[in-house]
Amino acid sequence: MGQRSTVNDEHSSESDGGAAALAKIVMFVRSRTSPSSLRTPRRLYSTGQANTIRTFEKDSRWPGWQVIIGIEVHAQIKSREKLFSQTWAPDLGSTPNSHVSPYDAAFPGTLPVTSRLNFACVNLALRTAIALQSDIQQRSTFDRKHYFYSDLPAGYQITQHYNPIARGGYVFLPKSNISVCIEQIQLEQDTGKSLFEPRRRLLSIDLNRAGIGLMEIVSKPDMRSPEEAGEYVRTLQALLRSVGAGDGNMEQGSLRCDVNVSVNRYGQSPGTRCEIKNLNSVRFMMVAIGSEVHRQIAMLDTGKSVPQETRGFNEDTGETFALRSKEEAPDYRYMPDPNLPPLFLTEGHITSVRKEMPALAVEIRERLAHRGLTHQDIDVLMAVDSGNEIGFDGRRSQGAVAYFEALAKGRNSRTAVNWMIHELLGQLTQRKKAFHENPISQERMGSLIDMVQSGIVTGSSGKLLLRHMLDHPSSEPLTELGERLGLLAVRGDDFVEHLCLQAIADMPEEANAVRRGVPNVINKLLGQVIRASKGRADPQSIRRMLQKQLSSP
Amino acid sequence: MTVAVKDNICTKDMPTTCSSAMLRNFKSPFDATVVRLLNNSGATIVGKANCDEFGMGSLNVHSVHGPVINPFQHPSSSVKWEERERRSAGGSSGGSGAAVAAACVMRNALATDTGGSVRLPASYCGIVGLKPSYGLISRWGVVSFADSLDCVGIIGRDAACTSKLFDILSVFDERDPTAARPTTREKARELCSEHMAEWVSSDATDLTNLRIGIPQEYFPTSLDKSIVSSFRRVVRALKHRGATVLPVSLPNTSYALSAYYVISSAEASSNLARYDGVQYGLHVPLPPGVKRRILLGTYALTADAFDNYFLQAQHLRQCIREDFMRVFRVPNPLARMKTAITTATTTPHDPAGVHVLLHLSAVRTAPLLDSDEQDGLHPSLAGLPALSVPIAAGAEGDGWPLGVTVVGQWGCEKMVLAVGASIEGVKREDVLGGE
Repeated sequence: MGQRSTVNDEHSSESDGGAAALAKIVMFVRSRTSPSSLRTPRRLYSTGQANTIRTFEKDSRWPGWQVIIGIEVHAQIKSREKLFSQTWAPDLGSTPNSHVSPYDAAFPGTLPVTSRLNFACVNLALRTAIALQSDIQQRSTFDRKHYFYSDLPAGYQITQHYNPIARGGYVFLPKSNISVCIEQIQLEQDTGKSLFEPRRRLLSIDLNRAGIGLMEIVSKPDMRSPEEAGEYVRTLQALLRSVGAGDGNMEQGSLRCDVNVSVNRYGQSPGTRCEIKNLNSVRFMMVAIGSEVHRQIAMLDTGKSVPQETRGFNEDTGETFALRSKEEAPDYRYMPDPNLPPLFLTEGHITSVRKEMPALAVEIRERLAHRGLTHQDIDVLMAVDSGNEIGFDGRRSQGAVAYFEALAKGRNSRTAVNWMIHELLGQLTQRKKAFHENPISQERMGSLIDMVQSGIVTGSSGKLLLRHMLDHPSSEPLTELGERLGLLAVRGDDFVEHLCLQAIADMPEEANAVRRGVPNVINKLLGQVIRASKGRADPQSIRRMLQKQLSSP
Repeated sequence: MTVAVKDNICTKDMPTTCSSAMLRNFKSPFDATVVRLLNNSGATIVGKANCDEFGMGSLNVHSVHGPVINPFQHPSSSVKWEERERRSAGGSSGGSGAAVAAACVMRNALATDTGGSVRLPASYCGIVGLKPSYGLISRWGVVSFADSLDCVGIIGRDAACTSKLFDILSVFDERDPTAARPTTREKARELCSEHMAEWVSSDATDLTNLRIGIPQEYFPTSLDKSIVSSFRRVVRALKHRGATVLPVSLPNTSYALSAYYVISSAEASSNLARYDGVQYGLHVPLPPGVKRRILLGTYALTADAFDNYFLQAQHLRQCIREDFMRVFRVPNPLARMKTAITTATTTPHDPAGVHVLLHLSAVRTAPLLDSDEQDGLHPSLAGLPALSVPIAAGAEGDGWPLGVTVVGQWGCEKMVLAVGASIEGVKREDVLGGE
């Protein structure tokens, strides 16, 4: 590089604006194309992979046509904090703009915070990736996606365009009996929310949501009918809930879908796709796909071609409508974020997340069946509180299954499940309370069962005690509580002996019948003694005492 | 300590306009980390200093507050100070530079440097300007121009007070995602003192074993003779004190400005997207310099141009960084981290290499305000510490100040400041210059 020119004059192009400056750079790029000292920069991204091949299946709604559907799901990650700021995520119904830090509002001078990057978000994305059998990337990076919209104050959204956190994977749909492949999972920031009030002609911006962690889960175009698309989203919802990654609620917007639909005549190459946005439920999504398929077929049937565009969905008419054409589509100008270092995940970290994975539904069923529970019992336990066993940030909350398993530890499973389902859940339902409102700890519930089993209280006293515990939550030791309420079983034989003698004296006819050898009549005497003891005496010992007294001469 | 703060650094109690009509009424709800550190150390912030709009410029003429006039006046001049020749104070931190050069009470000012915005005003105003290693001083609260290049810089009367302020500000801040970790800082500190021990002795004028490299590419043949001879005099004096001065080559220098321009414009177009007059700022047209950068950066990031411009520029940046790493004697404390990120092969340091590099801070003395002469910069793509120190103007020049820049390995601020202090000594003992 022998003789060198001076360092260029940065501002020489002031007079003729950007043109000269650009030309300079064009020259620089051209000059860079030949020397071997500079290899072509490594591309920051990989090219797409081939679609999954599926055999054509006829659909009587559109005979001779094949429908190809791919879905991008945006799922809000169930974390207490936002992704790059320590702001608390809002609850449903939080006052607008009450959970906003200067960073969330893109104030000049603010920067994303990564020294305390919300690792709960990362770990929940990893759980999702593991559940989807995706290939977790030990190095992923963050990029800026630029577009102008009033609910995006910075003018860009941080996402993972070039190097996502996970690639590949699949979801199996049992009803359709197909697997839908996953392209990639990327971490990104949610935007704010804009609410338009037509009557006041007022657009309001709520930044509470801005900066919350999102996962974008991109499927391959593997679905062939609205039903498959519906099953895909429902399966994904269940999966997200089971690993605690998200609520997956479309109506509340914690799960949003963009659906790509194209049609082609059987045997021909795939048609031009249209993207449908802003779908608020699985049902609407299926209606929108159906209507979009009919629209595209009608166009092709009349010899027109389908233009590539983004479409909205009108819930009242059940039809899609054009939002913007391909020409109007924004160029997002993806740029590696200069503030955010790459996210490195060690093998050890991924393994620890794998170990902490909540069990999938199939595994839980198997475990419970192994403990000797019936299918009905398992169904009941798993349906409690919609099976939502995991709280914010992936923390295990006290779900019914976990409660049962703690209860069954060192106890008879059948006894434990009977107490839990028939007594505890039954009493909670009567009180119109959800399981997470249950005031009785598993330790206390366990002691109650133990007291009944060891005869300290009788079964019926135990049930009374449980009701009292539900209505008057306290930490008073159960034996003291039972004592205070006069519910403890009376162990002393004197007491039982006395009551039995009393009963025999009160019911001479029955007593004589037993003595004469009619054994069943003893039950009448037994009932009398139980009533007299107010349930505090154990029926077995009463029977034994009566038999002893009546057999003696 | 009284300090002026450049107006693109957020202050809770004063407006932060970035010298733009866009943010004319903007008051930040928080203090930048550097401002907080200043307040904690008992410093008084006397006010906000003028700058080029959003830090974009090298003359400090693109400002809603008007241009900054260089306060320098040659002692031999007979005209009144108020009527002195109207020359530029340099940009973009011209206000910070002029404040320190003019005010007797104020020894320091905070500035920012993206592509030379601290070193140029220092050179034009005849004071000291330090652009520290990228990542050592927190950027939290500094309004971003180009995040991967922006640094908070320090302007001071001399190397000693600059060093003092650097110690106050150079602390890890977890609010800055690009801040160097405490372990990296410690490693850099150790490497720096280890290599300073090679030449620092009790006699401050003895520079035996200090190896100074002169990057050949920084001295084009077109350079003004008077300026070159001033530089030569400094080199001779340093040699006289025992320093070894060697020519070194940074072969990719000629691409630096193009790479800088693409990267800084791309990042600027992204960072300034929020000033659309809806989210932030007023609905005012942007000046041509800012507009040009936004348009250029926007173009460089479009899908069609990204590979040819942005990626090429990033690659060049890596080449330029490697150029520097090849010539330094001190190993790069970030080396292992960098290899992990870029997977590029890093060159092992050269034990025969130099401690610091020395070159002119500017290719001329301060230009006239209304001239369209503008200075070229040696942009700081490698994130290295660079200190501009004034040198004695030669009799053959125009009598206006001129600076030389000392560049060191990442984290070698102490070394760069020590060499800077020696050069200040040379200036005082100008007589030694004759050889």
